[in-house]
Amino acid sequence: MPALLSEGFLLGLSTGFYCLASCLPLLAPYLLAEGSSAWKFNFGIFLQFLAGRFAAYMLFALLASLAGQAGRYALPAWALPLCMAGCGLLMVFLAAARVRGEAAPCLLKRDINPYFKRLPLALGFLTGINICPPFAAGFIRLLELADIMKGFSYFGGFFVATSLFISPVLLGTPWIGRRANEIGRLTLLLAGLWYLALGLNGLIALY
Amino acid sequence: MKAPFTTKPAAGSGNTPAAAAVFALLVFAPALFFASVIAGREISRFYALAWALFAGGTAFAIAYTGRVSSWRRLFFSVSALAFLVHFKLGLLSKALAPSCLADAPFCHIALAPYFLNYLRQQYQALVSGGWALWGPLSLGALWLFVTLALGRAWCSWACFYGGIDDGLSALPKKPLLKIDGWALKVRDLPAALLIFLLLVSLGYALPVYCLWLCPFKLTGSFLDGQGWLRTAQYALMLAALAALVIAPLLTRKRFFCSFLCPFAAWQAFWGRLNPFRLSAAADCSGCRSCVAACPMTAIKCAPGGKAEILAYCNLCGQCLGACPKRGLRYTVFGLDLPAAGGAFGALFSVKYFYVFSALTLGAAFSSLWAPAALRDLVKLIWG
Repeated sequence: MPALLSEGFLLGLSTGFYCLASCLPLLAPYLLAEGSSAWKFNFGIFLQFLAGRFAAYMLFALLASLAGQAGRYALPAWALPLCMAGCGLLMVFLAAARVRGEAAPCLLKRDINPYFKRLPLALGFLTGINICPPFAAGFIRLLELADIMKGFSYFGGFFVATSLFISPVLLGTPWIGRRANEIGRLTLLLAGLWYLALGLNGLIALY
Repeated sequence: MKAPFTTKPAAGSGNTPAAAAVFALLVFAPALFFASVIAGREISRFYALAWALFAGGTAFAIAYTGRVSSWRRLFFSVSALAFLVHFKLGLLSKALAPSCLADAPFCHIALAPYFLNYLRQQYQALVSGGWALWGPLSLGALWLFVTLALGRAWCSWACFYGGIDDGLSALPKKPLLKIDGWALKVRDLPAALLIFLLLVSLGYALPVYCLWLCPFKLTGSFLDGQGWLRTAQYALMLAALAALVIAPLLTRKRFFCSFLCPFAAWQAFWGRLNPFRLSAAADCSGCRSCVAACPMTAIKCAPGGKAEILAYCNLCGQCLGACPKRGLRYTVFGLDLPAAGGAFGALFSVKYFYVFSALTLGAAFSSLWAPAALRDLVKLIWG
């Protein structure tokens, strides 16, 4: 098991920049929009995001291991574009609704239920199930292993290593003020529209 | 009660012809030097001289009339038009061969796919000492110099796209569409666009701005091959082109520069390194004349009623003439220079130091294309 943990860790370490590149357009605008000058608060958002990603990784490990046991060696082609479109929609919703703070552009002025303040978790989850090339490499390994516990171990290592690449994003957050929140909200809207367009494009290409 | 600024020259007050001529000469000499060095290598120095004379003439007009923005706008718009004529039409006709811009295959901003070529050019620049060769370090050094010398004024004196937006925004007498109601609420959009473009370009290793937004691509080379994506990219490009060309005519605002240009946000951020500022008088009545006049939506009325200059101000000077009390002025970090006497005393003010810096740099930078555009026109007319 430790060997698989380190194997997943090494995969994450060698491909972490790819994870950083795919997660940053989601996480950075969100932190900018919802963060504050209080470092602890931003760290809380970051932890929720990581928890969402972790849950997604473990779910994926479970499904991949089960698929391996059942002898099904293919991912449904719609999974990636659907996740991407879902992620985009969520980001657009976050930008359009007021999660925190008072001053929002009038076009985007709607308050939301506190329940939705757990959205970093959902955002992390949706990011986590986005199937990027390193993730697909891990998936193939899990199909081959076809063992749930080994799958958890492998993806656990992968998660820790990729999280190392994402964590520096916190360094820029102590300077976040209300102005940065507004800029972040608009960035979140743009990034959400971008992911939505990419996801829809992928789905259209399939059918 | 003593009126404010009685000891300082009013924003619109001019100088004597002699003082204006001295100021013009001060601008003309470096403009001629840089234009000769930059353009004279490849085309006749006559065109460099013509461009330097135009810059000197602009300086004379500013100093003689005391009005900055109208003469600046003329210089700026001609410079941008020259860029359009030479570079962009040159791309279509592949007529760039005898030009300083010949090394760039499309556009200097869109060089992500040509990065290795770019590095090779930088290497050549290093070994040959030919710093005019485009490269990341040369461009970085140029940007730093421009930012230290001009800061945000880049967008009102030197940017080759901004001149088009600025010139067109001055054409209508009254705005057909009033955007004051929502303009300030989306004023941070360029900053958001900048962050988004940086993140997505990094994530996808693509020149996303050039693919999706650049209004002057005029080429399909960068566009996606897939049907509806290509259509969407064309649609956005046309929307950006409309924001640059049509929206200023409707709103009397520099629409593209204010709400879509990510480089304007970048320059607004780093422009704080530059000491020149626009400052409002303490007894501002809050009449909002400057707010309406500002083409960049960069002034708002603060809660106390005083005009608040935002970081997006590019020191174009349009508000100076609009203020009925002449309550706006150029300063260095908010401070005025001590008043100087004599025939040339008025030239020793922040205003003229700033205009000298901006106009000289604008003239030198536009020497990359303006003399060549003049040559293109001469060739077109007389063969």
